[in-house]
Amino acid sequence: MNFNDLLKKEYIILDGAMGTMLQQSGLKLGEIPEALNIEKPEAVIDIHRQYVDAGTEIICSNTFGANGYKLKGSGYSVGDTIKAGIKNARIAAGDKALVALDIGPIGQLIEPAGAMSFEDAYQYFKEEIIAAEDADVLFFETFTDLLELKAGVLAAKENSDKPVVASMTFEKSGRTFAGVSVASAALTLEGLGVDALGVNCSLGPNELMPIVKEFTSWTELPIFVKPNAGLPDPNSNTYDVSAEDFAECMDKVIGFGTVKLVGGCCGTTPDYIRALKAVTENRVYKKAELKRSTAVCSGTTAVEISEPRVIGERINPTGKKLFKEALKTNNIDYILSQAISQVKAGADILDVNVGLPEIDEKEMMVRVIKAIQSVVDVPLQIDTTKPDVLEAALRVYNGKPIVNSVNGEEKSLSTVLPIVKKYGASVVGLTLDKNGIPKTAEGRFSIAEKIVNRAKEYGINPQNVYIDCLTLTVSAEQEGCGETLKALHRVKTELGCKTCLGVSNISFGLPNRPLVNHIFLTMALQQGLDLPIINPNDEDMMGAIRAFKVLSNIDKNSADYIANYNEIKTEKPVINSAHVTLGEAIRSGLQTEAAEITKEMLSKKDAMEIVNGELIPALDKVGADFEADRIFLPQLIQSANVAQACFEVIKAYLTKTDAAPVSKGKIILATVKGDIHDIGKNIVKVLLDNYGYTVVDLGRDVAPELIVSTAIEQDIRVIGLSALMTTTLGSMEETIKLVRNTPELKSCKFLVGGAVLTKEYAEAIGADYYCKDAKESVDAAKRIFGS
Amino acid sequence: MITLKSIDRDETLRYLSGSRVVMNAGMEELLNICEEELLKAASPKYLYITINTDNTDLIIGESIKAHLKGCSKAVLLCATLGSETDKLIRTAQVTDMAKAVVLDAMASAAVEQVCGEVEKLIISDNPQSFLTWRFSPGYGDYPLSLQEEFLRILDAPRKIGLCTNENSILTPTKSVTAIIGLSNTPIESKRKGCASCNLNRTCKFRKAGTRCEF
Repeated sequence: MNFNDLLKKEYIILDGAMGTMLQQSGLKLGEIPEALNIEKPEAVIDIHRQYVDAGTEIICSNTFGANGYKLKGSGYSVGDTIKAGIKNARIAAGDKALVALDIGPIGQLIEPAGAMSFEDAYQYFKEEIIAAEDADVLFFETFTDLLELKAGVLAAKENSDKPVVASMTFEKSGRTFAGVSVASAALTLEGLGVDALGVNCSLGPNELMPIVKEFTSWTELPIFVKPNAGLPDPNSNTYDVSAEDFAECMDKVIGFGTVKLVGGCCGTTPDYIRALKAVTENRVYKKAELKRSTAVCSGTTAVEISEPRVIGERINPTGKKLFKEALKTNNIDYILSQAISQVKAGADILDVNVGLPEIDEKEMMVRVIKAIQSVVDVPLQIDTTKPDVLEAALRVYNGKPIVNSVNGEEKSLSTVLPIVKKYGASVVGLTLDKNGIPKTAEGRFSIAEKIVNRAKEYGINPQNVYIDCLTLTVSAEQEGCGETLKALHRVKTELGCKTCLGVSNISFGLPNRPLVNHIFLTMALQQGLDLPIINPNDEDMMGAIRAFKVLSNIDKNSADYIANYNEIKTEKPVINSAHVTLGEAIRSGLQTEAAEITKEMLSKKDAMEIVNGELIPALDKVGADFEADRIFLPQLIQSANVAQACFEVIKAYLTKTDAAPVSKGKIILATVKGDIHDIGKNIVKVLLDNYGYTVVDLGRDVAPELIVSTAIEQDIRVIGLSALMTTTLGSMEETIKLVRNTPELKSCKFLVGGAVLTKEYAEAIGADYYCKDAKESVDAAKRIFGS
Repeated sequence: MITLKSIDRDETLRYLSGSRVVMNAGMEELLNICEEELLKAASPKYLYITINTDNTDLIIGESIKAHLKGCSKAVLLCATLGSETDKLIRTAQVTDMAKAVVLDAMASAAVEQVCGEVEKLIISDNPQSFLTWRFSPGYGDYPLSLQEEFLRILDAPRKIGLCTNENSILTPTKSVTAIIGLSNTPIESKRKGCASCNLNRTCKFRKAGTRCEF
């Protein structure tokens, strides 16, 4: 018997709780349950045997926490614990049941919520999976973070050919602790090619019903359900649903359809499994009706492509000087602000392109994907021409993304499509091939057809292929616009695919481009465009889409339209800049006014004169007020942000005139290895930025080696380090030591700060400047750079 | 379930180390906005369990011994605002640092408030007992590394999604672990005070000439 044979049965009975049973047999609080596999194998085998006798057909080994992180210091290795665990299960199972390696979460949160990297999580899982060669099935359960589970599933798929089943734990709200929705879990896990998926733990069968129901509308894969025996009593740690009531509830759960594997989690015993078996006997399996259309998702949010959805195009360096500059200087915050502003403006999905010849695109893409998904909830579209960059991005992406793009050329089809299939993404298909873009709609349609057919051969559902019929510049080829729209219509109606289109190319070379763009967008929507790729910050374009949704009866009762336009947007009254000085504007936090004044000044004064004569003195005054307890820290920061707006004006002016940007010196900032509290470092960054220093922000949890290599590559000799915990002060010392021992960096100066740091300690570890707050770091920078 | 309806303003301002600063309208508005967003994002969760103090590996060092003097039982507790709160603060750090600073301080105040609510539950569970104040790993000579042990005993990673990393930092970050002694006789008044605090040389309150309530 193997897993696939077992799946041919109508229903499959899983086991119940292991922890509950171990506690009943004397396991103490805080003891490591997996150690019993080796210390008391008979006790573990006995529990397994009770489940097999009750009707269990897949036994989960007692290995939930048998990973390298949790077993550290226990005296037991992962390999020994897992091998013993599987052996125990096998002895009990005999030929009556299969044995699954039970795999739980690693035990620390994955980034961005925690400090464990995706790559570290992958290694921990890989170690478990390699040790489990004697198991029949790999059984991931009780996960709350989808990205951690993805690391596990990938480790399973890449290091074994055993069937994989995976489940997450949901709260009553329908989300996991990490905010994962049912739709995101189902779309992502199905895409990754698991054999069954489901829910376990946290709630009883009654409370799980709406969650299971939701699952049935998002996946066709067999669903498994392992509820707790009701809800726990916090004092006695007992559960409130009896075996009979449990089975009765599960009877209804099975009735939803698609649910095929059933068992129990915390608080359940062999009695519950027996009752469950009775309920499924002589019952015929049925599938629920699948309601979803094609969809993509982030870890938290699914976007169904059931109506026009906006893909924001702004994260792309093409033709954008500031964006290119940000990529070259590792200014991730600039990219993040572009992401957030597009989402605020209404983008449903964000395109992410960081291709620039001068940078390491792969490394940058991974960093940017990780950073963007830590601050916004929308799904992403990964936009690159390089397969290795694409694959690296797909690994760390949390959810089901869109890949941009594949085209009709054989080389593109055979490299991109297997990657798309492996990671379960959707893909944009461009209607061009080695001969270029066909002039006619027929030519483009036949490439679209070819892409769809090839995708099918790789096992990619045509639902997940979004065809782009390509916009040509109308001022160059006026007949092209009609061909694009004709092709789009045919793809939509004849191939049944969703369509996407970059819009703004159409107007290149014409005056009043926005007008042409938004009329073209409207025409394309009418032909069935699903995914316009536009700048969502363009109010007219977003307006055209909102109005289209009203007129085509998609936006029911015009609710969304009204919500957007009902209130006349109240703009802050702009104070006549003639009446305020730049200094006053900075002190009062008047951003718009200060920027206006700076613009005016630039026509009369030299940029550096404005910086040194106006901006810096105004900031100094605010800084003195903060030191004297006359204002709050947030107010100091607000003033700094106003100054920042002024600097942006000056920077944009200088970039335009190709003058060297104003910089008073370069400083690396980092929160040391192991520490994830970075707010203090970020405050320092804002202030240093606004005093005109160029900050290279390496983020939090930064390895000393990265600091050394960055300092060498970017020729930086001033380094600011922050640590907030006594436990991470050692990392600070280590970093300073490593830098000081690097011959090129002997002359480096260190600024250090953080809650638990003292002046004495700072001196002892060889730092040059101890900064008790952000203001002092500016003072230190001034002393180092002499201004 | 504990739901917060408002967040202690005075406590928030104390964390912003601005208790001597005069409030103005701009700051008031910022506090209001932050409170609204934080109450929406926060999803307070907690666990607690009663243990015997004579039969545990958790008594390490002099500080905890002094703290639990006369207590045959103690309550281990942990509480968190959840990962959405961290995300809110993280996003604000990109868009509006001033707001991020306020949210950060406010979230610290909020998680203490949650602990306060949990303490009320503990009191109602133990009407006959006298309670010590909350003592956390990292206070005095009580090792920070015990956070992990606390969480393991409470089964916190699984039950409320609260973990530590390798440096004993709690994640989600706006979280607390603590131990409260239960005594049958009134607790001898021991001022916690700066002397028993390991931040006493660097504390921002002391620098500003004030004290926290520790």
